[in-house]
Amino acid sequence: MKAAGGGGESARPSKKAKKSSGKAKETYDAPPEDLDDDDGEYYEEGGEQEEKIEKKDFTKLELKPDHSNRPLWVCADGHIFLETFSHLYKQAYDFLIAISEPVCRPESMHEYNLTPHSLYAAVSVGLETETIITVLDRLSKTKLHKEIIDFIRDSTLNYGKVKLVLQKNRYFVESPMPEVLQKLLRDDVIARARISAADPNAKDGNSSFHVSKAPLEQGGNDLLGADELAAAAEEKEMHSFEVDPAQVEHVKQRCLPNALNYPMLEEYDFRNDTINADVAMELKPQAQPRPYQEKSLSKMFGNGRARSGIIVLPCGAGKSLVGVSAACRIRKSCLCLATNAVSVDQWAFQFKLWSTIRDDQISRFTSDSKERLRGNVGVVVTTYNMVAFGGKRSEESQKIIEEIQNREWGLLLMDEVHVVPAHMFRKVISITKSHCKLGLTATLVREDEKISDLNFLIGPKLYEANWLDLVKGGFIANVQCAEVWCPMTKEFYAEYLKKENSRKRQGLYVMNPNKFRACEFLIRFHEQQRGDKIIVFSDNLFALRAYAQKLRRPFIDGPTSHHERTRVLQAFKHSTELNTVFLSKVGDNSIDIPEANVLIQISSHAGSRRQEAQRLGRILRAKGKHKDRMAGGSEEFNAFFYTLVSTDTQEMYYSTKRQQFLIDQGYSFKVITSLPPEGSGPELSFYSRADQLDLLTKVLNAGEEAAGVEELEEDVDDITRFRTRRTQGQMSRYSGADGMMYMEYSTGKGRGGKAKARDPNKPRHNLFKKRFV
Amino acid sequence: MVEAVKGLLISCDIPMAQFIINLNNSMPNAQKFILEILDDTHMFVQPHMAETIQYRVQEFRDSNTFEKPHGVGN
Repeated sequence: MKAAGGGGESARPSKKAKKSSGKAKETYDAPPEDLDDDDGEYYEEGGEQEEKIEKKDFTKLELKPDHSNRPLWVCADGHIFLETFSHLYKQAYDFLIAISEPVCRPESMHEYNLTPHSLYAAVSVGLETETIITVLDRLSKTKLHKEIIDFIRDSTLNYGKVKLVLQKNRYFVESPMPEVLQKLLRDDVIARARISAADPNAKDGNSSFHVSKAPLEQGGNDLLGADELAAAAEEKEMHSFEVDPAQVEHVKQRCLPNALNYPMLEEYDFRNDTINADVAMELKPQAQPRPYQEKSLSKMFGNGRARSGIIVLPCGAGKSLVGVSAACRIRKSCLCLATNAVSVDQWAFQFKLWSTIRDDQISRFTSDSKERLRGNVGVVVTTYNMVAFGGKRSEESQKIIEEIQNREWGLLLMDEVHVVPAHMFRKVISITKSHCKLGLTATLVREDEKISDLNFLIGPKLYEANWLDLVKGGFIANVQCAEVWCPMTKEFYAEYLKKENSRKRQGLYVMNPNKFRACEFLIRFHEQQRGDKIIVFSDNLFALRAYAQKLRRPFIDGPTSHHERTRVLQAFKHSTELNTVFLSKVGDNSIDIPEANVLIQISSHAGSRRQEAQRLGRILRAKGKHKDRMAGGSEEFNAFFYTLVSTDTQEMYYSTKRQQFLIDQGYSFKVITSLPPEGSGPELSFYSRADQLDLLTKVLNAGEEAAGVEELEEDVDDITRFRTRRTQGQMSRYSGADGMMYMEYSTGKGRGGKAKARDPNKPRHNLFKKRFV
Repeated sequence: MVEAVKGLLISCDIPMAQFIINLNNSMPNAQKFILEILDDTHMFVQPHMAETIQYRVQEFRDSNTFEKPHGVGN
C-alpha cells in the first residue's frame, strides 16, 4: 500500500483496501497492483515505521458474509477501526473503550489500539479473556486473525488473576484459581509474608485457602449481549490467603511483570469495612449524575467493591461530581489532592455543594489555611505539594501531616493526575494509607511519556469519554477552534532572523505588533458585539504584562497572591465592567471560570498537547440553554478558542504540534488569515511604524527576560526538562518584590564582615580566661 | 553610460524578503548575491542563486512545519 492518505490517516486507506470485493460500504479504490505484493505479511509493531506504512496489507483477512451489520475492522496489528454510523456504535464504543486505547476519534471513523495496558485495564474492570475475544469477534467485519487472539490471550493471561483486597483491615491475596495462589506461595518472599491460621506447611490442597463466594459482576452487563457476559461472570469461588500488612509492598513488588508476572488488582470492600467509621455524607437530591458520569462510576464500583484507577473526562464535563459521588458511595474518610490552593477551595466548595457533608467534617490544608481535622472522620482537601513536601514544616502543619499519615483513608482522590511527576506520586502514595485510589484527569498525554507509570502507581484507566459525543449531548460547549495567522512585521522579522537574537526569538514573535493588533481586535469584537467573557493566555511573562498594561486589563501570574487572584476572578465573574482577564500558566489547570467563553492564546509552552487541551478546557463548561446547545440548536458554536500565531516562525511548528491531541479528539481548527480586517487603522494599537519600532526596542532591551517562560513548581513535567529555558532574574521577582528595595540593618553583631574565627592556639584574654577552661 | 546587469527579479512577501536579506548578509562578501533591494517585497539578485535560495527557503519553512509522526499511539 502507498501512504495514500498521508499524515496520520495513512493507516486507514490501507485497511480499507483489505478487501476489494466491493461489498464493503465505503471502500477506497485501491490500485490493483497493491493487492498483489507481499500478500498477507503482517508487520510487528515497532518495526520500521516507513516500512509499516507502505506494506500494511490485509487482503488475506476474510470478510464475514453479514459484515455490513458489524461495526469494527480489527487488524492483526492491534489496530481497530470503528464506524460511528453503525447502529451498533454505542455498544461497540463502550466495549472498545474498555479494552483499548483511543488513538484518533474524528466524526465518522474512530481508531483504537489494543495494548497490553489497555487489556490490563479491561481485565481489571471485570472482563475476561474469552469474553473479550468473543465480543470482538462478534463485532468484527472480518474473522479475527490468529495473531490478535494470541495477543489478547498472552496479555491477559496473568492479569487480574490475583487481587489484593483490604478486608477489615487485613490484607488478603485473592484469586479464583487456587493453583495460581500456590504458584505465588512457592516464592520465598510471599511465603514468608503469609499469615496462616492453619498449618503453614499445608501448601497443597485448596483446604488451606479461605473460600468465599464473589458477588455477581455488575460492570460488564451494559456492554453487549448482557446475558452472555453475565453468564461468564457467574458467581464463582474465591480463594484467598492473608498476608502481613507490613509485607504488602514486597508482595506487590514480587507480583509485578518483571518478577512473577501476576500484577495484582487492588479492591476495597468498603461495605464490610467495620473498622473505619462511616462519614455521614450522601449526594444531595439535586445532584443528578449525567449518563457518562454514571457509567464511569459503575466501572469503578462494578462488583460492589471500589477499584483503584483513573477516570478520564474532558474539562468542564463534571469531574468533581464524579469525585464527590465516589466519596459519597464509599462513605469513608477521604483525602482529596489538588494541584493548587485555588482548586483546593473549589474542591471544598464542590463537596459542600453536592453532598450532605457537614461543614465541620471538611477541612482544607494549604499553606494559607491550616484547618485542624475535627473528629475522627471527614474529608480533607489539600495539595500534592503540601503532602509531598520534604523540608521542615511549621509545627502546626507538622501536626496535621502526622494526622494524615496516621489515618487510614477510604478514598484517595487525586485531581489532575497528569501534571504530577511520578516521584511525587510515589511519595504521596507511600505517605498516605488508602484503600482505594481514584485519579481524575482530562488529558492523559504527556510529552515525556510518563503516563504509563500511572498504570502501576494508581491503577488502570477505568473510563474515558468521547469528547464529540459529549458535545453532541450538550454536556460540554461546542467550541470553534481557530488559528489566527499574524504575519511578522518587517522590522520584527529582521531581528528574529538574526543569529545573535536566537534567545530573544520567543519575545519577538509573541510581541509581533500584528499579533497584538489581532488580539486587541478580538477582545473588542467579543466584548462589544457579543458581550462575551474573555481569557487571554500567555506563557511569556513579559508579553503578559505588556499586553495587560497596554490594554488596561488585570493579569494573574505566579507571584500574584492568593487574595489578589480571588479578587480579580470574583470581579471577572460578577462585574459587567471587567470582561477580559490575562492569565499566565497558572490558569492552565483547575482555575474554574465557568463564565468565560472566549479564549485567546498569545503564547504557549512550546509543543505541549496537554496544555492546549487543558486551556481549551477552561471554556468547555456548557453555556447557554440546554436545548440551544443540542445538535441543530439555535447556536452552532457558543465558545471560541483562538490561537494567535506569528507566521514563518517556530510558533507555527509548535502550534500544529499542540493541536494534535484535540484533533485526535475530533476537533478541527479553522485558519483565519485576515485579522485584524483590512482597513483597520489607528483605533488599534501599534498602527504607526514609530510605535512598532518603539515596541521593538523595548523587546530587545528586555533581554532574555522576554523569552522567559514562567517556571511553576507544580508543573515539573513535559518539555521543560528536555528543552531547558534559562531565565535571568533576581530572587526578588519570585517573591513578588520586583522593583522594591529592602534594607537590611545590621544589628551590631559581625559588623564589617564576618567575625574572625578564634585561633585556638592563642591564649585567651585575661578577661575570659576564667569562663573558658 | 547605462550599465546593464543580468539578474533575477524576486517578488515575495515581507517576511520572506527579510529572510533572503538575512541570508545574503550571512554570506562572505564575495558571495553576496543581492544586487538591489527594490522595495519591501521585490529584489534583484544574481541569476545563478535561484536554486540555492529556493532550497534554503524550503529548508527554513520545513523547520517551522510540524509533521505528525507516523507510528503507534501517543
